[in-house]
Amino acid sequence: MSGFGVETLWVLAFLPFAVAPLLRSALRASRFSAIDAAPRDGVSRAVAVGLKALGAGAIAASILAAAAPYRAGAEHERIGEGADIVFLIDRSGSMNETFAGRTPAGSEESKASAAKRLLQGFVDRRAHDRVGVVGFSTAPLLLMPMSDHRTAIKAAIDAVDRPGLDYTNIGRGLAMALAMIGSGERDRSRAIVLVSDGAGVIDPRIQDDLRAEMKKANVALYWLFLRTAGSAGIFDEPDPEFDTPQAAPERHLDLFFRSLRVSYRAFEAEGPAATEQAVAQIDRLERRPVRYVEKRPRDELSGLVLGIALGCAVALLLAKLAEVRPPTREQGA
Amino acid sequence: MRPDWRDPRLLLLLAATLLLASSFLAPQISVARVGYDALLVVDITGSMNTRDYAANGRPQSRLDAVKAALREMIAGLPCASRIALGVFSERRPFLLYEPIEVCADYAQLGGSIDALDWRMAWEGDSHVAAGLYRAIDMAKELRADVLFFTDGQEAPPLPASGGPVFDGRPGETKGLIIGVGGYRLSPIPKFNDEGREIGFYGVDDVPHENRHGLPPAGAEQREGYNARNAPFGATMTAGVEHMSSVREPYLRTLADRTGLVYTHLDGAAELARAFRSAATPRMREAALDMRPVFGASAGALLLAAFVATPLLEQRARRREIIRAANKPPERRVA
Repeated sequence: MSGFGVETLWVLAFLPFAVAPLLRSALRASRFSAIDAAPRDGVSRAVAVGLKALGAGAIAASILAAAAPYRAGAEHERIGEGADIVFLIDRSGSMNETFAGRTPAGSEESKASAAKRLLQGFVDRRAHDRVGVVGFSTAPLLLMPMSDHRTAIKAAIDAVDRPGLDYTNIGRGLAMALAMIGSGERDRSRAIVLVSDGAGVIDPRIQDDLRAEMKKANVALYWLFLRTAGSAGIFDEPDPEFDTPQAAPERHLDLFFRSLRVSYRAFEAEGPAATEQAVAQIDRLERRPVRYVEKRPRDELSGLVLGIALGCAVALLLAKLAEVRPPTREQGA
Repeated sequence: MRPDWRDPRLLLLLAATLLLASSFLAPQISVARVGYDALLVVDITGSMNTRDYAANGRPQSRLDAVKAALREMIAGLPCASRIALGVFSERRPFLLYEPIEVCADYAQLGGSIDALDWRMAWEGDSHVAAGLYRAIDMAKELRADVLFFTDGQEAPPLPASGGPVFDGRPGETKGLIIGVGGYRLSPIPKFNDEGREIGFYGVDDVPHENRHGLPPAGAEQREGYNARNAPFGATMTAGVEHMSSVREPYLRTLADRTGLVYTHLDGAAELARAFRSAATPRMREAALDMRPVFGASAGALLLAAFVATPLLEQRARRREIIRAANKPPERRVA
């Protein structure tokens, strides 16, 4: 896709003016009645042609520079490491508390802030990912469509430690994340990274839909569970009589994810440091070769053509300065 | 070598050379460009599904009308502008993302605007005034102007004692309240739990009066009034809260109270005009490539040296010849 182009095309309409020097000279017309009065010689001819060419060159190059020419950057297909990733982020109110379950005070970091900081780092480290961001509380919220625009992705992640909403409804959020990733390219590895500090009961009807969708989309699922001190964990096994989805939603959500038969990992983090380790681990796991297209920046040619124009103009100027003054000025002029 | 400084061609050539040389000394200059920073907050509550706009001869919901107008308006903003998007439901705005640049990330902006959906609403209530005030706070924190899109329908209706009080400084944050919806009452589509449309809201589906707080003046006249047991009267009042139109007078009072400007949504061009007159233009430094300008002016000077001056000279010479021919002095040229 390499090619030449100009920024403002219409300027090139002036290019024919560059023939002007072939018709007219910037040198003084001398008032000899006939050119035959001077003897013909090769050097003079060469100089005459050269000066015309210089004039044409100077004008053409200047007009070209006015059109801002460039050579388009070539697109190279490369192999790198990356994936299509959807961050599915819990925006329930409890995410604004610390891992100890308090309102952050002083230098304490809320779970949402920790998630924000670590996900930003994740995005920074991985240059070839395409990332989408989905938030969820009672309802799923599409925060940023999937793309490789770092600024947009980071603007969406930046907003996740703002005050959250009501409850945790993972089912619908997961459905939206799947819908987003389902439209991705087939040959890229795909993953959903669920970041939450709680779990909810997924409606059995939605469970079946999710199961089918997950299988179809062939995505890897990572659950980064930010565990608040004193709350139930993913891997705690309660007394059998309390072992229901309602009483132990975290454990049962984990069981549901396991039953999906997709590549699934759960990380339970009880503080910022553990969260960081988990994010680093996801980073390592989601490194499979992907094809990506690298577009090299285009080369500006303005400097080059201006240089040519300048060279021609300087030569013309020297020729002009070498002009011989006419011997006398006739009267009346 | 004694240059003839009276020869215009020499001067033109010299000027062109200097211009071309200076394009290497100062290829770029820094200029101030105008941009706008805006926080868009879109009401996504149920009444925004009302289809009282039209596009291509088909009914269009208020939310879709807002999306279409926004996409077009944003496309027309200067590149130095930045946009943040939030949705409003219940009593607060929810920020989807921090401000991003309109040109570099236009596709992402457009995609996220297209994705706005009433299904994102985390609650069905619509406390417009409360949401607006908090959107203004949010815009102030983002140092942006605010654009609040709503039909102004408080659901449930405000209590008789009035709505929440605005405690900010009116006019400190600039922006627009955009009234969305037709002026005539239209039915509001109703959806079931799975998000399928199942008809319209009926008169019995919504409260028509807020019975929190003190009863309104004149409640004593109502049928079955009892100061202790039925201060609002014995029967439910039936109103038109199940129907929807843009509540323009209410939104105008909100605009007055907060120092924002009210405008009605009538297409993108009108919205863009209202926004530009209400918003704060923000100057941003931007690099301007001067090389095309140098190239163009050098080209013009060179052309003048090669074409204009010889032509002028030729004319002068012709005149001279004519003068010589008309030597007998009875017809003198002045």
